[in-house]
Amino acid sequence: MSHTFKTGGIHPHGFKTASPEIQFQSLPMTATVLLSQHLGAPAAPIVGKGDKVTRGMLIAESASYVSASVHAPISGIVNSIEDVVLPNGKNGRAIIIKADETEHESDICARVEYWTKTVPEASSRDLSESLSSKEIQSRILSAGIVGLGGATFPSHVKIGLKPTQKADTLIINGCECEPYLMCDDALMCTWAPQTVEGVELIMKAASIEKAVIAIEDNKPRAIKAMRSALDSAHNISVMPVKTKYPQGGEKQLIEAVTGRRVGSGGLPISVGVIVHNVATAFAVWQAVATGQPLIERIVTITGDIPAGQRCNYMAAIGTPLADFPYTLPEEARVIVGGPMMGRTAVRLDTPVTKGTSGLTILSGKGHRPIQPCIRCGACSDACPMGLDPYLLATYGRLRMFEEAAAADVADCIECGSCSWSCPSSRPILDFIRVAKQRSRK
Amino acid sequence: MTQKIIFSPSPHIHTGRTTGGIMRHVLIALAPAVACALWFFGLPALWVLVTSVASCVATEWLITRYMLRRPVSLSDCSAILTGVLLALTLPSGLPLWMAAAGGIVAIGIAKMAFGGLGCNIFNPALVGRVFLLISFPVAMTTWPLPASPFTDTDGATGATVLSQLKMGLADSGALDMLGMFTGDMGGSMGEVSAAALLLGFIYLLALRIIKWHIPVSIVAGLVLVDLIAGFPPLTDILSGGLLIGAIFMATDYVTSPMSRRGMLLYGLMIGINTAVIRRWGSYPEGISFAILIMNGATPLINRYMHNARFSPRRKEAAA
Amino acid sequence: MNLIICSVVVLGLIGFAGALLLYATARKFRVDEDPRIDRIVSVLPDANCGGCGLKGCRDFAARCVSQGSLKGLHCPVSTAENIEAIASVLGVAAEATERHIAVVRCNGSCDARQELYTYDGALTCSIMDATGVGTRGCAYGCLGCGDCVAVCKFGAINIDPTTKLPVIDPDKCTACGACVNECPRHIIELRPAGLRDRRVWVACSNRERGALARKTCTAACIACSKCVKACPFGAVTVSDNLSYINPDLCKTCSKCVTVCPTGAILSSFPVLNKTAVQS
Repeated sequence: MSHTFKTGGIHPHGFKTASPEIQFQSLPMTATVLLSQHLGAPAAPIVGKGDKVTRGMLIAESASYVSASVHAPISGIVNSIEDVVLPNGKNGRAIIIKADETEHESDICARVEYWTKTVPEASSRDLSESLSSKEIQSRILSAGIVGLGGATFPSHVKIGLKPTQKADTLIINGCECEPYLMCDDALMCTWAPQTVEGVELIMKAASIEKAVIAIEDNKPRAIKAMRSALDSAHNISVMPVKTKYPQGGEKQLIEAVTGRRVGSGGLPISVGVIVHNVATAFAVWQAVATGQPLIERIVTITGDIPAGQRCNYMAAIGTPLADFPYTLPEEARVIVGGPMMGRTAVRLDTPVTKGTSGLTILSGKGHRPIQPCIRCGACSDACPMGLDPYLLATYGRLRMFEEAAAADVADCIECGSCSWSCPSSRPILDFIRVAKQRSRK
Repeated sequence: MTQKIIFSPSPHIHTGRTTGGIMRHVLIALAPAVACALWFFGLPALWVLVTSVASCVATEWLITRYMLRRPVSLSDCSAILTGVLLALTLPSGLPLWMAAAGGIVAIGIAKMAFGGLGCNIFNPALVGRVFLLISFPVAMTTWPLPASPFTDTDGATGATVLSQLKMGLADSGALDMLGMFTGDMGGSMGEVSAAALLLGFIYLLALRIIKWHIPVSIVAGLVLVDLIAGFPPLTDILSGGLLIGAIFMATDYVTSPMSRRGMLLYGLMIGINTAVIRRWGSYPEGISFAILIMNGATPLINRYMHNARFSPRRKEAAA
Repeated sequence: MNLIICSVVVLGLIGFAGALLLYATARKFRVDEDPRIDRIVSVLPDANCGGCGLKGCRDFAARCVSQGSLKGLHCPVSTAENIEAIASVLGVAAEATERHIAVVRCNGSCDARQELYTYDGALTCSIMDATGVGTRGCAYGCLGCGDCVAVCKFGAINIDPTTKLPVIDPDKCTACGACVNECPRHIIELRPAGLRDRRVWVACSNRERGALARKTCTAACIACSKCVKACPFGAVTVSDNLSYINPDLCKTCSKCVTVCPTGAILSSFPVLNKTAVQS
């Protein structure tokens, strides 16, 4: 019997065909570092035009409690601080860093040294003994770590519990339930011991006694690697969970692992749980054990591209999306993230951010003609929150936002299971999103 | 950039299941029942089937094309399905013009007048059947008996098991259960063979087109009343249209509740209504009426019965 | 005889019990309603069009009574006498309401904003807005799917086939505000119809800095403030990188229209072009 959540859920085809080896994407000569790569207030720049920066240097400070610092992913000169186009076509402020040849060369050497020597050899074991919880928290804060599963919520906020809050379980989310994406899988296969040490650091920082690493059972290699890395770790276990979308949804995962249900509008801490992504745990380890802030992440490039191009890359934040080696199909939907919840990018000259878990490239149009609702109830069966998507979508379409709010539209996690399962191809989630946005006001 | 960049709302992938595909699966599930009908009732059954389907399809085409001036929606196969279902609830010796009239009422009045696919309150095929049953009671209750296939059925007719029982002509203890299971009895074209219908049921369940809730609760409701009334439940299940109604009519998406709890209540009420009509009503058969009555209650059930929430509803202020 | 008496008594009792039940139910579920609501409904034109943005005439009347005035409520079908009558029911003085007309604050035609991206999804402005910037790259301007057209009960809005922008027919517009609420980008504004039907407005909603706005749309307001300087009545202000003409101060002299370098200021009447004014 494998663990899973009970309400709804769907079983889309996995398409996890990218190579699990991690390739290193070359550092860009020009890096565009967005100031708002996280939830909350954008970071405030502390460098100006013409300033010289080095790789890993702090270039923008977290501007409020819910915010995160930003560091330079490459060495070079600050070319400008200006508005650039984001993947969705809107504008956002960014620091643009340009490197010259010598800086570029030395960065490359430092990077090779870091990944081939520092990372395999460093260990945080002794550190986690000597460092206090407060010290680990401050390192997480200064390294600008955010939730790397996609929500990009600043990690120090989650870890720094108020005295009134108490957590007994830390869940490390290695589900990666989105089809296509494989970045967490690749990470767990490659740097399992480091990730486990990262989990220990988070446990220490948040004073939690027990941790569970949840991995969907379609990743046997990752489960094996993490289990073998566990041998010396105490109070940490690996729990294979059923492959079912959205297993990696926070509330769904908490139910799968602990059997507890987070109430409407509640946070995981209300049931004594904190959830972090495996990639976040690895980033925490990097920050504490090697001192490198969050300036690189794993990005999966996958989808309808030649099989050899489907890869996981370790890429510097600020690398333009167009730099990765892939050939776009004639008509392409380039999705930042997975195909269920990711958003399409309209501009490929935009950079990798802390939340870019991958690019899913699908060919052609996916929209089908909308047919009348036949009230089959497939959306209600699929909804992991047990809502009635057909009803909420109708409220959204007819602008009945008060009724939508009364029907708990705010509980929707926008996982897309309803639209995925609709045989009449109705834009269910689209209208729910409208209802959600408007009923909030 | 030469490539066309497309932006679209998430999710960007789809199950691949379509409305037309679902209807086609239901048609496949009906294939054993149709084959049985042709086997037992021969050529006349084929003519009724063809007339009924043609009349349904033609009515839908004419209405969408010339009255509503909308794109013709025949590709979703729902009109064909209605035609087949209607034919299976008719006696094989029915005059063909009556079958055609049933199709026109089913599609024209029960479906298109309400706004077409997805908007109808009552099951179109059943409305067609009940219209014929009330308008032409004699023709609709003249049941040709099963004969060897494709011979000229020369008017050998008889009553259904249920009407025999009702009129006290048969003893419920002395019925041929195996014959009733395989279809060797008088009745409407599609209702006679329980085996063929169950085969279709298994197919639909295996493909997850329908859920077990409605058919099983209908049978449960029926058995419940039978036990109270002291009537042999198995005879009640196998004789007459209970199975085709429970498996193919009551589970019609549009006219049945969407939540599992609602389905159970709906099915249970259909079963009870059917048994009550059969035992104490003036008609020997009651499943059509029972389903139509509960079709009417479906919006109400949908209003008050939902699937269980993940997060319990917040307590609303008592004021 | 006995039978007749028996029937009379039984039926009488049933009738009496039924009457009691009806009485009790009526008492229990009685809804007290302000009698003024009925009086207002009787003086309304009773078109039940929903043009006021409420759920019909009765809802309008109930809202009038609940807030005790006509403030913010507008019945597009009513004449001045109707409004007078409503005001007298409420016991307030009828304010002379100026006629308003909706204007579209976007001039990003197909020439000004190229089609950059292909959209693949339900053709509804609200969904397209939630998905991204729209096919023409502007995060503030018109999306062109016609949600406003669909919501207009008076047939006053059409999408111009060449510019792909909504055009409002001033004769049909009743200023009911349905389109203002519907537009996900809030680019439709109700402005006073003006003397002799003369209106001047800024047809842009882009709040980006000038250079960026200009990059996405050649007809965008670039907040250059020329209009502010040109206005002799101080009616024009620039805030958030966007110019706005205060309709209460505007005397429709159209000086701003002629100085605007991008043509972002529109008028409801023909204005001599820029070169003609200069020469």
